[in-house]
Amino acid sequence: MHSWLRGAAIAIASAAAAVVVSQMMRNPVAGQASDAGIARAADGKPDLNGIWQALGTAHWDLQDHQARSGPVLELGAVGAVPAGQGVVEGGEIPYQPWAAARKKENFDNWVTRDPEVKCYLPGVPRATYMPFPFQILQTTGDIVLAYEYASASRVIRIGKADPAPVDTWMGQSLGRWEGDTLVVDVTSFNDQTWFDRAGNFHSEALHVVERYTPAGPDVLNYQATIEDPKVFTRPWNIRLPLYRRQDTNVQLLEFKCVEFVEEMMYGSLRKKTGNEKPFSAARLRWP
Amino acid sequence: MRNRGLTSLAIIATVTVVALAAVAVRVMTTGASTAEPAAAAWTASRTADGQPDLQGIWTNYDSTPFEIFDAGDKPGLYSGDPDGTARGTGPASFPNDVTGRKLVPRKSLVVDPPNGRVPIMPWAEERRNYALAHIADSWEYQTTWERCITRGVPGGLFPTGYGSGYQILQTPGYVMILYEMIHEARIIPLDGRPHVGPALRLWNGDSRGHWEGNTLVVDVTNYNDKGSVATNAASQRVRAIPQSEALHAIERFTRIDENTIDYQVTIEDPKVFTTPWTASMTLNREPDYQMFEYACHEGNQAMPNTLSAGRAKDTARPATRTQ
Repeated sequence: MHSWLRGAAIAIASAAAAVVVSQMMRNPVAGQASDAGIARAADGKPDLNGIWQALGTAHWDLQDHQARSGPVLELGAVGAVPAGQGVVEGGEIPYQPWAAARKKENFDNWVTRDPEVKCYLPGVPRATYMPFPFQILQTTGDIVLAYEYASASRVIRIGKADPAPVDTWMGQSLGRWEGDTLVVDVTSFNDQTWFDRAGNFHSEALHVVERYTPAGPDVLNYQATIEDPKVFTRPWNIRLPLYRRQDTNVQLLEFKCVEFVEEMMYGSLRKKTGNEKPFSAARLRWP
Repeated sequence: MRNRGLTSLAIIATVTVVALAAVAVRVMTTGASTAEPAAAAWTASRTADGQPDLQGIWTNYDSTPFEIFDAGDKPGLYSGDPDGTARGTGPASFPNDVTGRKLVPRKSLVVDPPNGRVPIMPWAEERRNYALAHIADSWEYQTTWERCITRGVPGGLFPTGYGSGYQILQTPGYVMILYEMIHEARIIPLDGRPHVGPALRLWNGDSRGHWEGNTLVVDVTNYNDKGSVATNAASQRVRAIPQSEALHAIERFTRIDENTIDYQVTIEDPKVFTTPWTASMTLNREPDYQMFEYACHEGNQAMPNTLSAGRAKDTARPATRTQ
């Protein structure tokens, strides 16, 4: 009886707290709705918390590209590649001559070479504009970016960080605020990730500077400067908007794609039982 | 190697029991109870939006055995070495005098039922036995950890001996736990929203949190039936025990002092366990711990190596084996 009453009291208090929290989420207490409706965190910085996603087709190709058939004939229209306008400032990716040849090779061998096909970590900036949502969790200290694709994640340290001990797929992210822009300096990459499904690539000398700038309550302008003296002749920029997901009760779900690539990667090593379903009857054709 | 490990474990266990007898008092008071642990005089600080503050980097090194050992156990099997005879223990141990970490002396992480044994149904043990004896046949017989999918919820919080960092961030309406192992950001909404629809099944389930005093209570449902409750050898007999879609976990995170979060999880799955059971452990604050990128799948050479070894064994003729 006593503990029942206590439980009920706790439940009511929790419900009240939940209401307060959800109200706070809608109308951030500390956030003066100034500057084109940009919400602000308790420390006065723009409040980037939320679930964001790129539209468009940068994940297919950072540059202008027309619609084309996909590599699996049986998928027909569903597997075709949509057209898109490029997100590279000036249109050109300034490859060194050897690298331009390699990019073309990558494009011609997309299915066998693209790390995304194997469910590998996407790297930066590719993680940002994949066709999956990601969530920003912003505190006055660290900021975490959680991506639905492959459960990828990054911690952005604000201020200082020691040199990264090892090269990584997602790099080491160091953040700072310049006015209302979150600037993230990303270093210590390996050479394994790509920028898109068109074979655009980099070396381990990659250095990315990202800029996240609110352009209203539900839009972030995303800009990234890409520098890699081993692959490009000069730094180059991409620029695209990120949109806040407005869906009711939206949350990140799981796209744990390892499960979808095991047969492709390890199927030849599986013990044969005679009951196997063929991996795919589909014929590959690319490009 | 094994013997040396066992000897060290014995020494560590002895030292630990003597050195930490005083701590046992606290453990006894928290024990199997799911009530709020005795908070003493320490008061949790609050985040800007009023949540008790759990933020920081935490680790879970703990050599406590998962269950109380039983003579019928087959630790070699559970650790993926069916021919082995070594008695299973907890994960790698880190004595106090080396790392300064506290080891809490208890007989098992399982605190309820009081006998320290997880009430696993026989069919689930048989399925586990078969799977672990056939890991070289297909990835499907390996745990989701070896497959680099996930260590699961709550399994991802159970001690394993390395990759043991957890970073907690709190933002208005959310608690986020970043698991070093397989870089999973577990995002727990606090806004009272309902669970996702029943057709959505998830490896790690669907988490909903709320605060009961200083305790974060997380209700987890909507599991798929492809994962397991625990994935690594340190979880002994519970490793690779399947989870069903009926799995329901209730976790309680209570910061009991500056450096300690008391963690308790009650697990019920009427298709797998005969009764609900509860495990209890601590997360220990370790601000200087550096979390590394655990690019598990990207570097998973163990998977093709295990399978190709299995195929080689298939074709090897017994007569060619050397004694």
